[in-house]
Amino acid sequence: MRVLGVVFLSLAVAVGTASARPSADPGVSSNEIVIGGTVPLSGIAASYASVGRGAEAYFKYVNGRGGVNGRKITYKYVDDQYNPSQTVQATRELVQQERVFAVFNSLGTEHNLAVRSFLNAAKVPQLFVGSGATTFGRDYRRYPNTIGFLPSYVGEGKVYARHILKTRPTAKIAVLYQNDDYGKDLLSGFKAGLGAKRRNIVSEQSYDPLSTDVASQVARLKASGAKVLMVIATPPFVIRGLVAANRLGWRPQIYVNQVGGATNIMRIVAATAGARIIQSAVTLISVKDPTSPRFRKDKGMALYRTIMKRYLPRGDANDGFHTYSMAVAYTFEQALRKAGRNPTRASLLRAVANLDIKSNPFLLPGVRIKTSATDHFPLDQGQLQRWSNNQWHPLGKVVSAKP
Amino acid sequence: MTALRYALRAAGLALFVAVVVYVPFRISDFRSSEFALIGIYFIAILGLNILTGYTGAISLGHGAFMAIGAYTTAILVADHGMRDLWTIAIAGLVAAAAGTAFGLPALRLSGPYLALATFGIAVATPIVIKKFDGFTGGSGGINLFEAEGITGLPEFVVTLPGGHQLSFNDWLYYLTWTIALVLFVVAWGIHHSRLGRSLRAIRDNELAAAASGVWLASHKTLAFTLSAFYAGVAGALLAISAFSVQPGAFPVERSIALVVGLAVGGLGSLAPLVAGAAFLVFLPQWAQDISKAPGVPSVIYGVVLILLMMVLPMGVGGLLRRIGSPLTSRLYRRS
Repeated sequence: MRVLGVVFLSLAVAVGTASARPSADPGVSSNEIVIGGTVPLSGIAASYASVGRGAEAYFKYVNGRGGVNGRKITYKYVDDQYNPSQTVQATRELVQQERVFAVFNSLGTEHNLAVRSFLNAAKVPQLFVGSGATTFGRDYRRYPNTIGFLPSYVGEGKVYARHILKTRPTAKIAVLYQNDDYGKDLLSGFKAGLGAKRRNIVSEQSYDPLSTDVASQVARLKASGAKVLMVIATPPFVIRGLVAANRLGWRPQIYVNQVGGATNIMRIVAATAGARIIQSAVTLISVKDPTSPRFRKDKGMALYRTIMKRYLPRGDANDGFHTYSMAVAYTFEQALRKAGRNPTRASLLRAVANLDIKSNPFLLPGVRIKTSATDHFPLDQGQLQRWSNNQWHPLGKVVSAKP
Repeated sequence: MTALRYALRAAGLALFVAVVVYVPFRISDFRSSEFALIGIYFIAILGLNILTGYTGAISLGHGAFMAIGAYTTAILVADHGMRDLWTIAIAGLVAAAAGTAFGLPALRLSGPYLALATFGIAVATPIVIKKFDGFTGGSGGINLFEAEGITGLPEFVVTLPGGHQLSFNDWLYYLTWTIALVLFVVAWGIHHSRLGRSLRAIRDNELAAAASGVWLASHKTLAFTLSAFYAGVAGALLAISAFSVQPGAFPVERSIALVVGLAVGGLGSLAPLVAGAAFLVFLPQWAQDISKAPGVPSVIYGVVLILLMMVLPMGVGGLLRRIGSPLTSRLYRRS
């Protein structure tokens, strides 16, 4: 008994001294934690700037309530003009000049790939990157400092494939996809999900993200006689593609991927091409839709609107990227709380790989954030939605989007 | 008279070198990487100056030659295990070859038609790079960070033969500026050579130049080749500095930025082009520090550029010439 007492006492002393020791990692002081990331604020992808601003607003809200363990979170997001070489330079500045604790919420597949080796060599956490490229969740053994956030594109593709197999197992399928890592990643998941039925895909057409028109691709897809059109595209190309399909009088069943299927985008399609083309279109969503009347009385969305009004009064509260970024920021806050009273980069990484958040206020009810030592996909669930009456409506239960 | 002029020039160059050597001691480690970036832009703008400043041919496509240089370095380092330093000259030569190939037909065009043709290659570059993805790594590009041939990574410390150690950023700075100074002296040599005079004659009046015995086509092609060489070297350094290349790193804006840097530095000047390069690196950051509100940084950038061009239509170089001219002409008269 006495031996046990001594053990407990020494353990307590050890724990006590360990927690009293100030954190040695950069970016953490007694009253502040500095994190940073890159977001396009100018250039072709400037509409993604909301992903930085929404997260910043959420951290201001957290700081207004005393921060995390008495420390305020300072989130420095800098413009990379969506140019990967600028991402490298800006990230270098965050790490070497601003001495951030962690890089957080940086946006873009190529952009995060460009700095992944650097951040891992410098042992800086690269958290919740704004890309669904499967590599960010899959290759954690090689890049232990990196973790993604969005459901993986492969997993998302599989969800659409499963729904098509269930509802239209014999329909001919056409695919329009963006010719880069993101588009190919999602397409590969879609094909894997179709399995043997991938021969139902009668036509695939790709477009370059720098091009301005997809009308000829859509014309070729239509000529294939497909009854289902899978659109793997970013917002401007979703609009152009569907407008082109409508002009050709083509009325396939449309599946549109999450990055291009936001309500405001679909409403633009409805306004320019008419509502019929997207009638009963299907998409996968994980984040609450700020425009949906479903969430008018929802507590999480009430919080969202309060934060928008208070900390980002000039921002558009109907912009889903704001909601998304608060979901990411909330997840970071929870991880930081789990990382101990005096967080280090190591303890933060352990916390990030040990998350179980059942009710992120900005995610759909039932969507759970869960990670483990071998599961580095924080958000791998979503709910299919069907478009009608100018709005997305849930279609079935929350499903897994594991790759 | 000429002796004094050369002495002044030599003193100026010595001062330039001294400042370049001294700068890293005064700034933080990270700032060295920013000043290295200025060196990279300086090289590219020096090259563009040979074409646009001397010869008067406008190129809106020099980002494409930077891309060729960058990809040459990346492919040689990543796929052929070559040491990054040796690839820089090769990258310049490959870009120069591409410059000749493009220059031969394109320089039959003049004025806005040439600008448009070069703009075309700037637009096509990222798409062409993605087309050959087996070779170029597609949209994700090529990562050099873990390649053997990269000097000093990932420890971020470079050990020199003498045993001195440099941080990666300081190393990058000295590498870039050593090359920049060499290429600066070369550009100065061209400026004062028979070739430089012929090129300026073409700019001022093609017909008169041809009548005086300047062979237009070969001179213009040569100017294009030299200028693409500079851009290729700058591209190689950019790849080493960012330890990766992607098609997204070479959008049209990159080519436009070079023209902006040249205009701010002053068409036809040499040393003042550093100001143009610094403008490209610092103004976007400064605009962001003022406000991050949607669209505001771009507006600040644009407004500052317009004001600058109104106040200094000949760029910083023109301003220096205006300030310096009475003094130097006095000096020359006395001697």
